[in-house]
Amino acid sequence: MHPPNSTPSVASFERIVDEYQRRLYGFALRMTGNREDAEEIVQDAFVRAYRALGKMSAEQRADLRLQPWLYTITLNVTRNRLRSKRPSNVALDALADPDAILRESHEGPAQPEAIVEQNTEIALVEQALLQLPMHLRAAATLRFIEGRSHPEIAEILNQPIGTVKSHVHRAVRILRRILGPQIGRFIPEGAPDHALS
Amino acid sequence: MRCRDVEALWDELRGECQASLKETVHSHLRACPSCQGMYEQYEGVAYCLSTLPRPEPSCDLAKKVVTHIAAIKGRLYPPIVISAVTTPVGKLYIGLKCDRIAYVSLDTGEAPEEVLARVERRLHRRCVPGESPGWLLRALESFFNTWTVDDALIDISDLTPFEQEVLRAAASIPPGEVRSYAWVATQVGRPKAARAVGRVMARNPLPLLFPCHRVVDSSGDLHDYFYGLEMKARILEMEGYRG
Repeated sequence: MHPPNSTPSVASFERIVDEYQRRLYGFALRMTGNREDAEEIVQDAFVRAYRALGKMSAEQRADLRLQPWLYTITLNVTRNRLRSKRPSNVALDALADPDAILRESHEGPAQPEAIVEQNTEIALVEQALLQLPMHLRAAATLRFIEGRSHPEIAEILNQPIGTVKSHVHRAVRILRRILGPQIGRFIPEGAPDHALS
Repeated sequence: MRCRDVEALWDELRGECQASLKETVHSHLRACPSCQGMYEQYEGVAYCLSTLPRPEPSCDLAKKVVTHIAAIKGRLYPPIVISAVTTPVGKLYIGLKCDRIAYVSLDTGEAPEEVLARVERRLHRRCVPGESPGWLLRALESFFNTWTVDDALIDISDLTPFEQEVLRAAASIPPGEVRSYAWVATQVGRPKAARAVGRVMARNPLPLLFPCHRVVDSSGDLHDYFYGLEMKARILEMEGYRG
C-alpha cells in the first residue's frame, strides 16, 4: 500500500539532489560570494525541501513545479543566513540612492569574506554583484547567470513580472555604475550579443 | 519613443522576442548616441555576469544531504501504529503516534487495510499495524471507568488550531451531561460558528476520548453521530446521562 503522502523515498530524493545541486549551488554562491556558505545553504535548502515534500498531499506534489520551488527555498535560506550574519543598511541606502553603494564600497565595509576568484577582472564583477542589495542581486543572478526568463523569475521571487523587469533593470544600472568604464575591457572581440549590428 | 521607454525594453531583447520589438529598439539606438553608449554598457554587464565561472559544489554535497535526510526521516514522520482493543463499547482501532493516542475509531466491520487507509487520509501520515502496549490497555480501562482521559496521553497536534480548540471545549463537558453545538462555539469565542463546530465533531479523529457524543442540538435532540444515533445514546447512557 502506498499512502497518498508518505515521506518521499531517500532514493527518489537523491535523484532530485543530483539533478539540481549544481544550479542551486551556483545561485547560492553568487548570492553569498562564499563557497562554504553556499554549500551549507544548499544542504539546508534540500533538507527543507524534503520536509516540505513529506507534508504535501499527492495533488500538491503533482502540481509542484520543482525547479522554481527549489530556487525559492534556496533564496529564503540565503536571506535568513545573510540577514543573521551581517546586518547591513547598504541595501536600504541603495534603494534611495545607487551612489550610496559606491560610497560604501569605497569606505570598505560589505566586502565578501572570501572572494571566489583570484582573477582580477572576474573578481571585480563578483564583487560588484555582491554590492547590490539582495533583491536586486537575486534578480540579476537569476536573469544573467542562471539564464531564467522573466516569468520564471517572477515565480521564484513571488513577484509580478513587471517588478522583476524593473529589478533586473535597476540591478544593471547599478552594476554599470560600479563597473563603469572598465566594462569594455571585459568583453573580448567578437563576443556574441555585444556589438550592435 | 522616449529613451526611458526604450531602455525598459533592452532586457526583452535577450530572449526570444518579436522582430518588430527588436527593430524598435535598434532603430532608436542607431539614432541616439547616448542610449547606444549605455546599451553597450548594459550588454557589457550582461556579458560579464553570464560568463562568470560556474564552480562545482564539493563532490560530497549530495552525499551529505542524503545522509542528513536518512537520519531525520524516521524522526520527522513517525508512522501511526494502529492496533485493535476490545472495550465495553465494542472493538476499537487505536492509532498511536510516538506513544500518544492520535486516532480512535469504532469497528464498523471494515477490513483492517481500509482502517489504515482511512487514518492515513485523515491524519496525512503513514500507518502500520501493531500491538497495543500495556499502558494503552490500562488507559482505556481507566477511561471506561471515569469517562475522562489524561491529556498527556493524547496527540492532536496534526489538527488545525480551530479543530484543537473545539475538541478541547467539548472535552470540558462533564461526563453524563450534554451541551449544544452553539455552546461549544461560544466557548471557543466564535458564537456564530455552531455549524463549523458540527463539522469538526463529524471529523473528530478521537471519538469517545474527545466526547463529540456529548454535543447535541440546542433543542436537546441527539442530532447525529458518525456511528449512528443508537451508539450515541448508548455511550451517553453508559456514562450516566439521563436525557
